[in-house]
Amino acid sequence: MAAAPGHSHDGVADGGNMRPIPPVIAPGHTFESVTEKIGGIVLTKRTQIGWLVGFAIGFALLMLMNMTIGQLLFVGIGVFGNNNPVGWAFPIINFVWWIGIGHAGTLISAILLLFRQQWRTSINRFAEAMTLFAVACAAMFPLLHTGRPWLAAYWLFPYPNSMGLWPQFRSPLIWDVFAVSTYFTVSLLFWYTGLVPDMATLRDRAKSKAGKVIYGMLSLGWRGSARHWHRYEMAYLLLAGISTPLVLSVHTVVSFDFAVSVVPGWHATIFPPYFVAGAVYSGFAMVMTLAIPLRKFYGLEDFITMRHIHNMTKIMLVTGMIVAYGYANEVFFSWYSANMYEGYMMHNRMTGPYAVFYWSLIAINACMIQLFWFRSVRDNVGLLFVLSLLVNVGMWLERFIIIVTSLHRDFLPSSWDMYQPTRWDFAMFAGTIGLFLSLFFLFIRFLPALAIFEMRTIVPEAKLQPEQHG
Amino acid sequence: MTSDTTYAPPEDLDARRAMALKVGAVGLVACAFGYGFAPEHFFRSWLIAYLLFLGIALGSMGLLMVQHLSGGAWGVFRRVFEASSRTLPLMAVLFLPIAVGMTSLYPWSHPELVQNDAVLTHKAPYLNSVFFMVRALFYFVGWTTIAWTLSRWSRLQDEGDMSVNIKLQYLSGGGIVFYTLTATFASVDWLMSLNPHWYSTLFGFLFVGGQGLSALAFTIIVSTFLVRRAPMASLFKPSHFHDLGKLSLAFVMLWAYFNFSQFLLIYAANLLEEIPYFIARITHGWQYLAIFLVVFHFAVPFSLLLSRDNKRMPHRLVWVALAILVVRYIDLVMLVSPEFDAAGVNLHMEAGEHEGGFYLHWLDLAAPLAVGGLWAWMFFTQLAQRPLLAFRDPYLRESLETTGGH
Amino acid sequence: MTHAETSPTLHGLMAEFETPTALVAATERARLEGYRNMDAYSPIPIEELSEALGLPRTRLPRLVLGGGILGGLAGYGLQYWSQVIAYPMNVGGRPFHAWPYFIPVTFETTILGAALGAFIGMWALNKLPMPYHPVFNVPAFARASTDRFFLCIETSDPRFDLQATSKFLESLHPLGVSEVAA
Repeated sequence: MAAAPGHSHDGVADGGNMRPIPPVIAPGHTFESVTEKIGGIVLTKRTQIGWLVGFAIGFALLMLMNMTIGQLLFVGIGVFGNNNPVGWAFPIINFVWWIGIGHAGTLISAILLLFRQQWRTSINRFAEAMTLFAVACAAMFPLLHTGRPWLAAYWLFPYPNSMGLWPQFRSPLIWDVFAVSTYFTVSLLFWYTGLVPDMATLRDRAKSKAGKVIYGMLSLGWRGSARHWHRYEMAYLLLAGISTPLVLSVHTVVSFDFAVSVVPGWHATIFPPYFVAGAVYSGFAMVMTLAIPLRKFYGLEDFITMRHIHNMTKIMLVTGMIVAYGYANEVFFSWYSANMYEGYMMHNRMTGPYAVFYWSLIAINACMIQLFWFRSVRDNVGLLFVLSLLVNVGMWLERFIIIVTSLHRDFLPSSWDMYQPTRWDFAMFAGTIGLFLSLFFLFIRFLPALAIFEMRTIVPEAKLQPEQHG
Repeated sequence: MTSDTTYAPPEDLDARRAMALKVGAVGLVACAFGYGFAPEHFFRSWLIAYLLFLGIALGSMGLLMVQHLSGGAWGVFRRVFEASSRTLPLMAVLFLPIAVGMTSLYPWSHPELVQNDAVLTHKAPYLNSVFFMVRALFYFVGWTTIAWTLSRWSRLQDEGDMSVNIKLQYLSGGGIVFYTLTATFASVDWLMSLNPHWYSTLFGFLFVGGQGLSALAFTIIVSTFLVRRAPMASLFKPSHFHDLGKLSLAFVMLWAYFNFSQFLLIYAANLLEEIPYFIARITHGWQYLAIFLVVFHFAVPFSLLLSRDNKRMPHRLVWVALAILVVRYIDLVMLVSPEFDAAGVNLHMEAGEHEGGFYLHWLDLAAPLAVGGLWAWMFFTQLAQRPLLAFRDPYLRESLETTGGH
Repeated sequence: MTHAETSPTLHGLMAEFETPTALVAATERARLEGYRNMDAYSPIPIEELSEALGLPRTRLPRLVLGGGILGGLAGYGLQYWSQVIAYPMNVGGRPFHAWPYFIPVTFETTILGAALGAFIGMWALNKLPMPYHPVFNVPAFARASTDRFFLCIETSDPRFDLQATSKFLESLHPLGVSEVAA
């Protein structure tokens, strides 16, 4: 079996028809080869045509976002399709969708670190970057859906303003401000802490003056001192421990936005864990969506191996099953509650005007994910790419269903109405995808997409030879 | 690895087994008296004690299936999980008092109550005596089938048949889905419907999470007993206890997370069909028990389990685990008892408003002795039947090599 | 190699090794030899080096705890003060001091305080950012961030003696020994 020697976490499944588990790094790599391969992507002078095309697409969409913001500020909030009763529409759907995507990054970097899952090493860096960019995209929506973001400062943040007003802390919306901004800050600290030793590597290997200076400043003068590593490892572990409950709390607070209310379809105690599972599920789908092309185009198959693909698929299966459990749970309890409004909510979801979206969602998140049970599916990278894209769609539909079907027909039939997004709604959504893509392309061009120093720790050379030591 | 591959259980296991049986017998006699004097309290207390030990058995089965799927360092505890899960047939027998006491425990089992209550009439297709028994039978058949099949294939693995490895994985995958779904419905049947108007969609998670925590605490206790004796003394490492400790910490946090979420959402919405559940638990003396649980089911074990040393040293970890088992029991008391008044009558049996107050009955001590003694006797019997190490576990090498840990 | 006495222009002597194993072994030897003011440099974290250098447990966990407690108190205090004292407002009949509502924000600020404690504390204890350090004067040190391992015994060590220390380092079979200009 092709396991890197002396690496205890590689599979040792012997006998039976259990397959050997693929290694977390292909054999034959050294400190130098790992550093060169990952650092080289950043330090090369040549910018690939594929990168330019990808960035151009992202940037064009980003410009669409700017145009939408201009339109929004110039004309007013009416450019969006939000109406009464569907006051929460596309902006909140997209907000929750993006925040959810952000969850995989912190999960990979924190929880898998605590559980000593070495396979996290080669995907944590870009997953964390993905978290930051996704949260940035998410933050656009609550800010802009106010229509007058320059006023949002005193609505959102507690600061002694000239009107003597304070935010309403008995509302989950303000909890969201704290949760999301804490999440962004802590993720940024975690990400940057991880980057520092790699910045030192790039500083020492950069050929250009600008590279030496910029990476040099970002490296903070890191010199690999054992005294520094000693505290660094402790800080990294502590940040992981801190981030673990944080990542659970963020989507929990997002779910409180809905569940604290008394709206049928929103007020359910299962919302917190069910939202968290959905967030992790969609986050891993996005990691797969990004990792599969990344390893292909940059030839990183040695580092992002089938082991990673398999494990991420399994996490998607587990979290997807929890989400499916949530759907089943909602159906049962909408009947068990013996509450007329709960019952109608479910009936309306299944047979009402938006039923096609509900059933698409069930088809993807409850039925399609059963494919992940099969080995042959977990081995088929091309198919997994398609499936992970579909999961992204499915999770978007979930938020659409939760938000729109619950609001458009609530307690009073006289106030029922339909919701129709406008072209600006779609433009804004596409625009944030552009923001995400632009940031992500810049990231893979200028920063190491895999954590170089952590990759070094899993090559065979890093293992101390016991007979000589101690 | 040692050359001794019998991994025979330590000699003094038999003494513990006999002791457990004696405790169980004493408890049973006490319960019989209690049944004579206060049948209502007997059924209520039996339900609480029963759910604690059922939780250990089912939680162990869940952890066993997770282990088969994920591999990982805690494979060394497989035999403890397996022995726990093989107690399920006994648990099916011990369910009988609950079936007998159905009319004492569950308001929906009284047709005249159902007729006069629109909500109960709506729920009658689900909450009725016959379907209740059919479901219970279905759960037990399913659970015992899974537990015994896992155990049987595990013995084949000991005998060298490696073809079962993949079958164990398949069964565990399906088994976890089955366990989660049936445990959710069981939580509705046996606990939630004590107050038949109330519902909370999170309840299944709380039930399953509690079972996982009970099972982990029990595994720590048994493993601490085993690690002091041959043959496991040389096999259980601090890192193995560290893993159990970390998982216990995670489950303690999950318990707090689920409970706070449920409380906050119901408190905030303040709806007529939900809030009585919490009003019953934060008034009339029950609030002190609620505070006790916040402190001793969360704050104290959480703080103790943060320490690396407390997790790695079995003689320290075992005290945390014992305390966790005790508060698990008290948590179940909190789930059940406030729905009954001090005379042991379900508050929802009669129309109109009733208010209970805090009480403890001596049967609340006798019932756990009876159920726990019998259960522990069954557990030790099962544990003694197999080698204490699943020495052909495909992940075992990895598991025994593990030394590190944060 | 110069035979001058310890000069103020010298930071120390640095030996270069090819493997982490060699570096750990060399560090252990140097400590046995009585050297204390020394540092090891590696491109990867090596847990055994901390033991070899005899590093004490770091104070970082206490800083994190302190940061968390401060953050939590600040968060709860902010909510209590703004909802009960500064701007009491009846919202749906809820009490001003509705503590369950204050838990989520208190939790978030606790986390934020703890994370800032870990981040700021770690860099402060490490005395980084530090733009200049003598070890960078050694040309070979550029590989310390890729695949080379260094042990530097500093002139400030009481046992430091240019000749003896140099001989000692040579005896560890390094790839090379160089003087580190201050």
